[in-house]
Amino acid sequence: MIATLDAPAWAPATTLRSGAGYWWTGFTWMLRWHLSSLRMWLMLLVMIQALIGVGYVLGFALFFDEIPPAAALWVSTGVPVLNLILLGMLLGPQLVAGVKEQGGYDFLQALPVPLTAAAAAWYVVTLVGGLPGMVITLVAAELRYHPPFAISPLVVPVTLLIVFTGTMIGYALAHAITKPMTTQLITQALVFVAMGFAPILFPAEQMPGWLASVNEWLPLGPMATIMRDTLTDGLITDAGRAYLVVTVWGVACGWLAVRALGRRR
Amino acid sequence: MNAVTVDVVVPLGAELRRGPAAWVHGFVDMMRFEWATIRPWAALVFIVQIMMGVGMAIMYGFFYPTVDETTALLITTGVPTLALIPMGFVLVPNSVVNQRMAGTFDFIWSLPVPRSAQVSASFVVNAALALPGTVLALLVGMWRYGVDLSLSPILVPAVLLSTVMCVSVGYGMALLVTNPLVVNLITNALVFLVLLFTPIVYPASNLPTVMMRIHEVLPFYPMAQVIRAGLTEGLVTDVGGPFLMVGVWALLGAGLTARAVGRRH
Repeated sequence: MIATLDAPAWAPATTLRSGAGYWWTGFTWMLRWHLSSLRMWLMLLVMIQALIGVGYVLGFALFFDEIPPAAALWVSTGVPVLNLILLGMLLGPQLVAGVKEQGGYDFLQALPVPLTAAAAAWYVVTLVGGLPGMVITLVAAELRYHPPFAISPLVVPVTLLIVFTGTMIGYALAHAITKPMTTQLITQALVFVAMGFAPILFPAEQMPGWLASVNEWLPLGPMATIMRDTLTDGLITDAGRAYLVVTVWGVACGWLAVRALGRRR
Repeated sequence: MNAVTVDVVVPLGAELRRGPAAWVHGFVDMMRFEWATIRPWAALVFIVQIMMGVGMAIMYGFFYPTVDETTALLITTGVPTLALIPMGFVLVPNSVVNQRMAGTFDFIWSLPVPRSAQVSASFVVNAALALPGTVLALLVGMWRYGVDLSLSPILVPAVLLSTVMCVSVGYGMALLVTNPLVVNLITNALVFLVLLFTPIVYPASNLPTVMMRIHEVLPFYPMAQVIRAGLTEGLVTDVGGPFLMVGVWALLGAGLTARAVGRRH
């Protein structure tokens, strides 16, 4: 008897897919993936962002008998940075750590999507999650303190840059560190640092000199500096260094994350 | 025919054990159980407690352009309160939530030990983990701001009552609210409210009158007052009212815990 072997009716393509069209398809699919997996959380996130923004802006005044205008201006221009980095830098790594613990991480890694497309999609999601909070915070600050805002068009690229660097730091934390527990710990500590040990809500001069110098090399303080540079006039005199520090952190962490993701296990 | 002899088997624990000796026995056993459960995390919890306490003692100083004597005194004497609150309102509810999720909650309650002994044991272990951080936070505050304190005997009942209040309210809340997500949400919101909107490190006169009135009946401000009364002289004029309020909350928490503990499923 002759055994007949049926050819499979369908076989996966054996050619390597590449090119701009493939990248774009992967990007839109990952965007849809993230948005649909976060769909319940996005509304909650926007509400939390609003609470954080309005809470810090109003709450900071309670520390003073009569809040000095300078302090009001610093907190009003600092909280938007917290809004922008919340999802990408602080919640993102925790989400990934959760996926790792549940065992869904390898599945996500196996999706046939270019690494940069996946990263870009996540970046867009963090941008969408951060912007409403930033706007709400600025409106609350304007209503409460009437600070001398002088918003320059530069605010658009600066916002994009801050979200990029924050998200890439979070991406590196989530993917380059293998133990979810370590990631959780670092992000928890980061929340604390962002509130009290980086010159985001208050001027660096109010910290000891050495801590201020350390912060010049870390990303959080310079992020606040460039945000202030675009929201006010004359508050920041020399922001060039801060732009450079934020950019270098973003690029370095992005490279680290993509390298860690591309590693074969 | 041989006579069949049957040994009378007395089931283990058929007689009801009760009385102070059984309670103490159960309490000691449960303390060992609690400690064994928490031991892998104990070092971590310990470090986090110390970092939070010490961190807050330093951090609040950065918020002010200049830290004058009154501010320094308020921060130093407020931080021990801030260090105790997370223990009762975050650690205890979270440990109950973790037990529920892991399924050990029902197991623990099925143990042949008085439930009041279980709750007391968990209270002692958690308090023992929290107190060193609290003391260290106080010492760091004194060193950093050069504040001289005058300890009074009131401090002992103040700290004990406050600790009992925090743990019992935290316990009662975690036992009554069965949804882990809701407990998580409540604890996070509480931390945010306590850190920013409660007059613990700043004078209550900074608050709008309405909020001041609300804080007089919430547990946090009275707790800060009784602890401050034990650390300073003349700063808190009336301790009777705050003591009464903390006592009422402690009773309320204990009542809620007792109700949940005594209920049969």
